[in-house]
Amino acid sequence: MNNIITTNALTKEYDHKKVVNTLDLHVPEGSVYGFLGPNGAGKSTTLKMLLGLVKPTGGEIRVFGKKLSQENRLEILKQTGSLIEAPSYYGHLSGKENLRIICKLKNVPEKDIMRVLHLVRMEKQMDKKVKNYSLGMKQRLGIAAALLGSPRLLLLDEPTNGLDPAGIQEIRELIRDLPEHGITVLVSSHLLAEIDQMATDVGIIDKGHLIFQDSLVILHEHSRSRILFQTSDNEAAFRLLNTAGMSVKWETDSFYLDHVSDDIVMDAVGQCVNAGIGVFRVTEQQKSLEDIFLSLTGKQVSL
Amino acid sequence: MKMLTALKAEQMKHRRRMLLLLPAALILFEFLWALWSLEPRKASDLAQGYLSSFYLFPILNSLIYPIFLAVLVNRVCDMEIKGDTFKLLYTLQDKKQFYNCKYLMALKYVALSALGSWPIIWVTGRIYGFTDMLEPHMVLQLCLSTFIVSTLLLSIQQVLSLLSSNQILPLVAGLAGSFLSLFSMFFPPAAARLILWGYYGIFGFVWMDWDRSTRISTYYEQNFDWIGLLLFAVVSLIVYFVCRSIALRKEV
Repeated sequence: MNNIITTNALTKEYDHKKVVNTLDLHVPEGSVYGFLGPNGAGKSTTLKMLLGLVKPTGGEIRVFGKKLSQENRLEILKQTGSLIEAPSYYGHLSGKENLRIICKLKNVPEKDIMRVLHLVRMEKQMDKKVKNYSLGMKQRLGIAAALLGSPRLLLLDEPTNGLDPAGIQEIRELIRDLPEHGITVLVSSHLLAEIDQMATDVGIIDKGHLIFQDSLVILHEHSRSRILFQTSDNEAAFRLLNTAGMSVKWETDSFYLDHVSDDIVMDAVGQCVNAGIGVFRVTEQQKSLEDIFLSLTGKQVSL
Repeated sequence: MKMLTALKAEQMKHRRRMLLLLPAALILFEFLWALWSLEPRKASDLAQGYLSSFYLFPILNSLIYPIFLAVLVNRVCDMEIKGDTFKLLYTLQDKKQFYNCKYLMALKYVALSALGSWPIIWVTGRIYGFTDMLEPHMVLQLCLSTFIVSTLLLSIQQVLSLLSSNQILPLVAGLAGSFLSLFSMFFPPAAARLILWGYYGIFGFVWMDWDRSTRISTYYEQNFDWIGLLLFAVVSLIVYFVCRSIALRKEV
């Protein structure tokens, strides 16, 4: 599969501090690429560099196979839509008037406005002044503006910020469907669960370094399952299996076996039953993405 | 993108901003001031009514144009600050083009305001029945000097407005410019030339002699400083490019 965005050793320094450090990003065409990382990891700076808003200190960016430079930046960005950080808007104008300005600047026919407003379900609010919109509505308007002209590439920086749960779900569905319309999406978030629900590919950035990049399926393979036990006497069962040489681990008020075969699970259940300990529940649990992040970075992060 | 398209988009942004009210308010203020200040008290006043108008307007402009320009540029630029639109606009249009559009949009209203002096003086003369001639070359000198001095101050106000997240700073700069310009009239000529806001007065071409004994003011025309104005226009052009370069260096 072709990469629609490729960066090579992309670096940005502020006051001799590298906020983005030799980043090699590969965004496959037709994917929803989740760009994941804690707050301050360098996600927004990276997106701004991809849009030519911030000049990289080092490295190279290729979008649609062309090397991005100040000279060809706007030509390349014609096929790109973006929503960076907070949505941009003219508060004294209505939503529709805001989009008319974008149409004019993008050289897109105004009939496209109704299409994008329908996509973000904003038809009813289009004549209201944007200063009276809620943050969620402004966010939707920003996405609508990014979708004007059916760009081949969409860069969305934390697009669900400020949305209510129903709105978040709608935007997720919208983003998931975009590749069907030939749009590749690069979406950043600090929420693992969010990326998990809409991305096909993932890049994880921490302190400016890309610490993981592959498909979501591969990321999930990092999540080895564990078998959680709930018995009539968890402490006694834990001691019994531990003495029997099984790799049991205690967690809060129960215990689990880490990544074991079916035979070992059967053996563990049998030993408990033979010892007169009732087995209420044996549950297979996948590692959460938070756990995966922890194993990749070696530290807990607030996600 | 063509400049004309960018200008149309800029014009669309100004809907409901009622920017025309600003030059209208300035012209109305100047008109009322002219009516009050140029009212003839004796026959000799009528004989030099238009001449005295050309003495009054550069001084009046020194006082009100710095504030007018600060408010005008604020109205033109603050929508981008409030709406955080730079990061969107800079992906759609060239940064220089964006800056040029803003400048040209403000310049349009400055041109209107500068030209507005002409009908004010004419109407005032008709109302009071001035008997001297309204000389076209004087109208040209007044309008042109007002416009060219404003082009430079506009650059300063625009860079301040685009760089400040708090729009109070550019407004305070305009207000300070107005005071400085007023006080610069009492400075030695060389020092007065350091105050950019004071050039409305410096390019004045009608002077006054006031005879204390007869209490009669006599106005007379001086040679207009065309070379000075040309030099000022060149400096204004340089300042424009410098200010644009400073404004566009800011990362969004």
